[in-house]
Amino acid sequence: MPMIASLNRVDPGFTSSRPTGLKPAEVFRLESGLTLIYQPLAFPVVAVDVWVSAGAAVDPWQQAGMAHFLEHLIFKGTQKTAPGVFDRLVEGCGGATNAATAYDYAHFYITLAAEQLEAVLPTFADLLLNAAIPDSEFEAERQVVLEELRQAQDDPDWVGFQALLEQVYAPDLNHPYRRPILGTEAQLLTQSPEAVRQFHRLHYRPENLTVVVAGGVGRDRTLSLVNTHFGAANPGSIPNPGPNPGPKATSPPFRLPVSPMAPTPTDRSPVANSRPLRQTLQLPNLEQTRLMLAWPGPGNQQPEAGAGLDLLAAILTEGRLSRLVKALREERRWVSDVECDYSSDRLGGLLTLTAWLEPEYLAPVETFIREQILTLQQHLVAPAELRRVQIQLTREFAFSLETPGDFAELYGYANTVTDLATAFDYPIWIEHCTPEDLQRLAQDYLLLDHCCVTVLCPED
Amino acid sequence: MSQPQRPQATEPQSGIRSPHRFVLDNGIVLLVTPNLTADIIAARLFMRSGSAWEQERNAGLLNLMASLLTKGTARFSSMEIAEQVESVGAGLGTDAATDYLLLSLKTVTADFSALLNLASEILRSPSFPPSEIELERQLTLQSIRAQKEQPLSLAFDALRRSLYGDHPYGLSSLGTEASVASLTQADLQACHAQHFRPDNLIISIAGHIEPDRAQAQVEAAFGDWIAPAQPLPSLALPPVTTQPSIVHQAQQTHQAIIMLGHLAPPVHNPHYAAMKLLNTYLGNGMSSRLFVELREKQGLAYEVSTFFPTRLHSAPFGAYMGTAPENAVRAQQGLCHEVQRLGQVRLNDEELEATRNKLLGQYVLGKQTNSQIAQIYGWYETLNLGIDFDERFQAQVQAVTPEALQATAEEYFQTPHLSLVGPAETLAQLA
Repeated sequence: MPMIASLNRVDPGFTSSRPTGLKPAEVFRLESGLTLIYQPLAFPVVAVDVWVSAGAAVDPWQQAGMAHFLEHLIFKGTQKTAPGVFDRLVEGCGGATNAATAYDYAHFYITLAAEQLEAVLPTFADLLLNAAIPDSEFEAERQVVLEELRQAQDDPDWVGFQALLEQVYAPDLNHPYRRPILGTEAQLLTQSPEAVRQFHRLHYRPENLTVVVAGGVGRDRTLSLVNTHFGAANPGSIPNPGPNPGPKATSPPFRLPVSPMAPTPTDRSPVANSRPLRQTLQLPNLEQTRLMLAWPGPGNQQPEAGAGLDLLAAILTEGRLSRLVKALREERRWVSDVECDYSSDRLGGLLTLTAWLEPEYLAPVETFIREQILTLQQHLVAPAELRRVQIQLTREFAFSLETPGDFAELYGYANTVTDLATAFDYPIWIEHCTPEDLQRLAQDYLLLDHCCVTVLCPED
Repeated sequence: MSQPQRPQATEPQSGIRSPHRFVLDNGIVLLVTPNLTADIIAARLFMRSGSAWEQERNAGLLNLMASLLTKGTARFSSMEIAEQVESVGAGLGTDAATDYLLLSLKTVTADFSALLNLASEILRSPSFPPSEIELERQLTLQSIRAQKEQPLSLAFDALRRSLYGDHPYGLSSLGTEASVASLTQADLQACHAQHFRPDNLIISIAGHIEPDRAQAQVEAAFGDWIAPAQPLPSLALPPVTTQPSIVHQAQQTHQAIIMLGHLAPPVHNPHYAAMKLLNTYLGNGMSSRLFVELREKQGLAYEVSTFFPTRLHSAPFGAYMGTAPENAVRAQQGLCHEVQRLGQVRLNDEELEATRNKLLGQYVLGKQTNSQIAQIYGWYETLNLGIDFDERFQAQVQAVTPEALQATAEEYFQTPHLSLVGPAETLAQLA
């Protein structure tokens, strides 16, 4: 096996135990700077998931949607690989492939029978490293992305969520999460093949790439394949500028919340002076009214606080015993559903609470929710209730790790967006949360007078 | 390009074993597929009666049944049931499908037998509390309305109606606003008495458990359930006698939805495997014909796909796409042309081989999680195919020839049923 000696083995340094029976994962740094994570698993299947630390947050300021557009164009081939060849190759040998773009990353994955890896991996690597973004394919693919955007615009929950993001990340914050990942029609129409090629050269650099191989392939075979086909990645000549802070001339870069569990009022996550606290959108074709509440939270540099906010969300709406589902759907019957969710990205997190209801219940439901938030700030959660949601969330984590694709995603996300060493720590953070932690988080983040409210109503 | 390499002896081998099949004295069929890779057990409990048993007047009965099962039993209230599930972080859900009613479970190994006992109580002794019936009725009515917010489900609803007319497969499993409003506790009780019996139940378990242990736990939870003396009900459905139609639904949308449909073979029909291949060739994945012709070459759609679910009776085949209103005419022509074409041209051996590999490869990829494994074997047993259909299906697919493929397309892809959703002025331009 050539070149394996040149691979740099790195200790993943997992800070907590992996699931019982799981063989250790290994991490290697290729000479080019690319990271390889290898996880052997007793499956006849292998998943390869390539993560790029360039998502919509680094879209050029006036060209929203470029990272996602590039994700589409990657599949349009290279000098060596004509458009469509890769799709036929991977699916023709029984595999599947897809990709996704978020604010902080894009990732591309294949899943296939383990013995087919040699047939597919070389072309997969070629697409990612050498994307040609041919002029001849550009216009048709722009139409495809515009169709994706139109489809989203026909989904009221997508429309509502985008409106909520624009409200939370008010214009004066210049926050990248304000812009839709899909971009806008006007800005998509201004993008050129050359601009997208530059974006590719700038961001799809070896040091920004993590290749995860999980499943039924041996270690030496994996190392040799990845080193051969991803090892040649050329660092290129463009200096890496780091995350895009927005237009520098008009505004200071967005500031990260920095404190651990309890932020002081001055470094609390974004609070904009210009943020409207309440907006109502009228949508055609809407059958049910939505009440959406949102609070900014910590970014994922503070995973313990994130886990605490997950617990608060679960206390409010996870299962029939949760406070809001029980009171608002099962007992009072004011809502047909209610969901609370905490999601965190690099530059901040968001706790959202959505209720589906009839318009006459808008006021009582909002009042009730606000009272429940106040209760979380004023009273400690009972130990038995905390225990229940802790078990729910730790089980959910365990249930999410079954297939090679599940492991590949866990490692890829951790290494790209958070920290590989803590990939298995989520249950620990959940278990360590105390009633006092939850009360403090509710007091620090769920500020009733900073809550953003978006209401979606049927058109008159 | 290097040659595919065989796995070496040092490579990890699959931890998933073959399914074991048991028949209990009371008629329950138990399938156990051991998979020791993770400390997880999934179970799927199938009652062999689905919404196909419904008529227009009681449409939604099985769905309402499914939502009521967890809302009270002889021994437990709705909240007590929730407590038993949520306090151990398990998953327990119920669903009504066309050909069966399903209870799904997911637990860590240590909690499995307690949840299995709860599942037994839920299936055998639901109490249908009137207040919970009212709540679930309201929630169902809201779901029926909420479906109208999604252009695709609006289009599918109309297509199904056009394909099946009065046949039960033409009804939404949620029911209609009128039928759901009229369902009573007595309807639920009668339905339960008729269909919920051990000799109508299949329990499929996959995960971290040995077959004999699973058998003992199922015996303990369900063994004393006695089948009634009267024979199992059997369902005789009328033949489908509809004519192709074009249904327009005007809505102020950003995309027009073009959906076409044909009646297609049931799972026991000799054309079933060929139709699965046609479905794969046309609409499955990024190398599929519709994706390449209509999306990649012409940029007419983001989502363009087909469906052909496995059914006991005549199944729906559909092809659909969402497109900008100004492209709707071109999109409709393209979609219809591509489907019709398969009755006129014969695929070459290479195309057939690639389609076969795709279908069989993705079939294998669809059996990775314990839930997927429990589902597929339990479903085959429920449809009276037997668990060896897993292998027979793969052999059937291997045996399909280009001629058979064309003959199947010719027979089934005649004049399509069309369902169109979009702005009124766009619909006016469409046939």
